[in-house]
Amino acid sequence: MKTKVVNTEPSPPAVGATPVPSSHRVNRVPARRILERFQALAALVGIILIAVALSPRAADGSNIFLEAGNLTDILRQVSVVGIIAVAMTFVILTAGIDLSVGSILALSTSVVAMALTRWSPPLGDTGRIALAIGVALAAGAGVGAVNGAVVSVAKIQPFIVTLATMIGVRGLAKWLTDNANIDIGFGQDVPAVFAAVISRKAVVIGSLLVMAAVFWLVLDRTVFGRYVRAVGDNERAARYTGLPIGRVKIWVYTLSGLLSALAGVIYAAENHQGNPNAGIAYELDAIAAVVIGGTSLMGGKGSVSGTVVGTLILGILTNILRLNNVDSNVEMMVKAVIILLAVTVMSRRPSE
Amino acid sequence: MTATELLRVANVTKRYDGVYALQDAHFSVDKGEVHALVGENGAGKSTLARIIAGATRADRGQIFFNGEQVSILNPLDAQRLGISIIFQELDLFPHLTVAENIVIGNLKLEGRAFVNRKHVNSWCRPFLEQAGSVNDPDAMLRDLPIAHMQLVAIARALSLEARLILMDEPTSSLFGDAVERLFTTVTRLKQSGVSVVFVSHKLKEIFRICDRITVLRDGSTIGTRDTSATSTNEIVTMMAGRPLKGRPTKKSAASNDVLLAVSKLTTGKIQDISFDLRRGEVLGIAGLVGAGRSELGAALFGLRRLISGVVRLNGRAVRITSPTEAIGAGLGMLPEDRKLQGLMIQMSVLENSTMAVLPRYQSWGLLNRQRELGAMEAVHRRTALKAASPDVAVSRLSGGNQQKVLLAKWLLAEPAVLFLDDPTRGIDVAAKEDIYEIIGAAASQGMSIIFVSSELPELLRCCDRIMVMHEGRSVGILDGALATQEAVLALATATAQPLETRPRPV
Repeated sequence: MKTKVVNTEPSPPAVGATPVPSSHRVNRVPARRILERFQALAALVGIILIAVALSPRAADGSNIFLEAGNLTDILRQVSVVGIIAVAMTFVILTAGIDLSVGSILALSTSVVAMALTRWSPPLGDTGRIALAIGVALAAGAGVGAVNGAVVSVAKIQPFIVTLATMIGVRGLAKWLTDNANIDIGFGQDVPAVFAAVISRKAVVIGSLLVMAAVFWLVLDRTVFGRYVRAVGDNERAARYTGLPIGRVKIWVYTLSGLLSALAGVIYAAENHQGNPNAGIAYELDAIAAVVIGGTSLMGGKGSVSGTVVGTLILGILTNILRLNNVDSNVEMMVKAVIILLAVTVMSRRPSE
Repeated sequence: MTATELLRVANVTKRYDGVYALQDAHFSVDKGEVHALVGENGAGKSTLARIIAGATRADRGQIFFNGEQVSILNPLDAQRLGISIIFQELDLFPHLTVAENIVIGNLKLEGRAFVNRKHVNSWCRPFLEQAGSVNDPDAMLRDLPIAHMQLVAIARALSLEARLILMDEPTSSLFGDAVERLFTTVTRLKQSGVSVVFVSHKLKEIFRICDRITVLRDGSTIGTRDTSATSTNEIVTMMAGRPLKGRPTKKSAASNDVLLAVSKLTTGKIQDISFDLRRGEVLGIAGLVGAGRSELGAALFGLRRLISGVVRLNGRAVRITSPTEAIGAGLGMLPEDRKLQGLMIQMSVLENSTMAVLPRYQSWGLLNRQRELGAMEAVHRRTALKAASPDVAVSRLSGGNQQKVLLAKWLLAEPAVLFLDDPTRGIDVAAKEDIYEIIGAAASQGMSIIFVSSELPELLRCCDRIMVMHEGRSVGILDGALATQEAVLALATATAQPLETRPRPV
C-alpha cells in the first residue's frame, strides 16, 4: 500500500531562530497537533449535533437519540468493529493493511463455540470458558503471526498477503464447522453462561475501552509504538537506523489477529452462535473507522484516539439512519458519502 | 522597470504558520544575466525561487515579467511565461526513463495520443547534451546517481524553452568536470539571452559565473551587488549580519591504534578496497560521481552482499549483513539522501533525534519523556541546532537543521566509526561550519569518522587523510599534508599515476 512520493512538499524554512529555554517547553504540544485532534473531535461533535437534530421524538417529546439506552446501544454496536479498528490502526500506521480481520473473526467465533460445546475438560465452568476463549484468541493471534511473518520475511505486499489469508481462513472456518452455525444455547450450561456473561453491555463496551486505552498507551508511550510509526513513515530510514522492522511487522499483524479474535469471541456471545460466515466486510468498516479518524493509509501518521472517534462517527451515523428508518441500502450510500467527506475534512491542513 | 529587466518581484511576503519566510522582499533579474540569490538557511531564497516558479504562492507581492505585471499561481503559469525551476530536491519520476521525465508535462507536446519512443528519445538528446548529461534517454531514472538526475532536471528545463531558469543549489552533487560542464551550459544560455538565477551557497562558484548577487537575510532583501564590485567577505557579512569566524587550523586528533581495518573489500560495484582507520581519525573519501564512495558505505553498513574482503574491528574480523548488525558492531551511517534514507519526515525533532537509541529512555516499559528530552537537548547543544520546539515535525526544518537532527541521532548512538555521506550537501555556510566543528569535536573525543564529500575544500579542511576513489577502486590515500585540490582531482580523474593502494604504515 506504500506509494509515498518523497520529493513533494517543499519544506518551509527553519521555525524560529532563537532557542527557547527548555524549561518552558517540556510538555508543550505544538498548536498544530492540538488542532488536528480538535478536527476529529469537531467532526464528532458535528455529527452528534446533526444526530440530535434529526432524531425522532418519543411520545413525551424527548429526544430518542439522546436516551441513555440508545447511546449505550451505539457503543455496544460499534464495539466489535471498534476493537478490530484499534488494532488495524497499528497495521495501517506501518503502511500495511489487514484484510483478513473479518475472516479471523469468523474463525474465532467458530473456534470458541466449538470449544464450548464439544469439549468437556474437567476444568470447572470458568476454566472451560477461559480455555475456549484462550484457544480462540490463540487461533487469531496465530493467523496474525503468519500474516506478519509472510509480510516481513517473504516481503510480499500486505494487501496481497492478507487478501490470501482472508480467503484461506474463511475456508478454514467453514471446513472446521462443516459450513454450519454452532449454536450456543440459552440455558444453564457452560456455553450459555459464556454467552450471558460476555454479551453484557458492560463487558462489551468495557473491552473496547480497555483495548483502546492499552493500545493508545502502547502507541504513545512505548518504544514499540514509536517504532510502529517510524516504520510506516520511512521504512528505509528505519532500516538504516537499525530498527527491528521484521519484529515490528510481525507483532502488528499478530495483534490485529488477536483483537479480531477477541471481537469474534464477543460476537459469538452476542449472537449465541459460532458462525463461519460472520464478519464479512468488517475489514472495510474497520479501515473506514481508522481513516476517518485521521490515520493516513500511507503510514506514519495517526492515532488510536482518532480511530475511536472514527468508530463513533460511523456508529452514530448508522444509528441515526436506523432511527429514521432509512432503507439499509440507502444507508450504505450515505455512509460512503460521509466517509469521503470526513476524510476530506481531516486531510485539509489548517495553514496552507 | 528598465528595458533590460526581465523579472522583478516586489513586496513579496510569505508566512508559514506564523513565521515570516519572506517579508517585503524584492529582487530583479535582467535579460541574459546570471544572477545569484544567496542567504543563510531560512533566509527565504528557496521560498522566493519557488514563488517565482509558481510552486508556492506569496501572501502579498507583485511580480513583473517583461514589463507587465503577471500572476503566477501555479507552475503551469510559470511554464507558459517561460520560467523554469530546478529544485534542490529534484522533482523527477524515478520509475520513468530519462526521456519520459523530460517530455512529461511539456505543453507543446500535448495533444498527441501515442508516444513514439524513438522520436521522443531523439528529441531529448540535444537538451541532454546541452545540460552535460551523458545518460541514455532510455535509462531508468532511479538507476542513476543523484548527480546524473540533476543533469536530467536541467535538460528538462532547457526543453521547456525557458527564458528564465532558476536553479536551487544546482551543484550540490556535482564534482569536477560536471560542474565545469554546467558552467559552460550556463554561459551558453546567457549568450542566447536566457537568464539564470543561481540559488547557492558556494560563493567561489558564484563569483566565477554570476553577474550580480542579491543577498537575503531573515526574509528580507539586504542588497544587490555587481560581482565585479564586491568581495566574498562583503557578501558573507551581508548574509550573516556578523563577521564570519576565521578558519581554525586543523589539528589531527588521531591516535595510533587502528580501529577499523578493511582489506580487499569487493562488492558488485567496488573492487579491492583496502584502508585502515585509526581511532579519532577523520578519513575523507573523494572521487567523481559514480566512483563508489556511497557504495563503500553501504558495503560497510551491511547493505550489500560482499563478494570478498575482510573487515576487522579492533583486530577482530566481523561479518556484517544488516544495518542492525553494523550498529551493534559500533558503526553508524549518515546516508546521502537525508529525506529518503535518513529522517522520519512526519515525526518530530525529538523522535528523530532519539530514534537510534530509544530503548535507553524507558522506565518500566514506558518511555520517559523527561529523560528523552534531556538527552536530546544535550546533544542538540553540541550540534547548535535551533528549533522552536522538540515536537515540531522535521519536515518543517531547513535542510541544515534536518542534517543536524540526523547528526544528533548518530552522536547519541556513540558509534566507534561514523560514516558520513555528503553531510553538507545543500546546506548553507554557517551550518556547514557548525558541522565541521561537530566532526572535529567528535573525532577529538575518539570517534573515527569516514567523510565522503564532493567538495574538496571541506575534505582538505577536515580530514587527516583522504582516500580517492575512481570507478570502484581506491587509487590512493593522501596524507593531509600532501593533499591538495590538484592532487586529489588528478587521482579522481585518473590522470595521475595511481598511488599504492595499500595504506602506508604510519
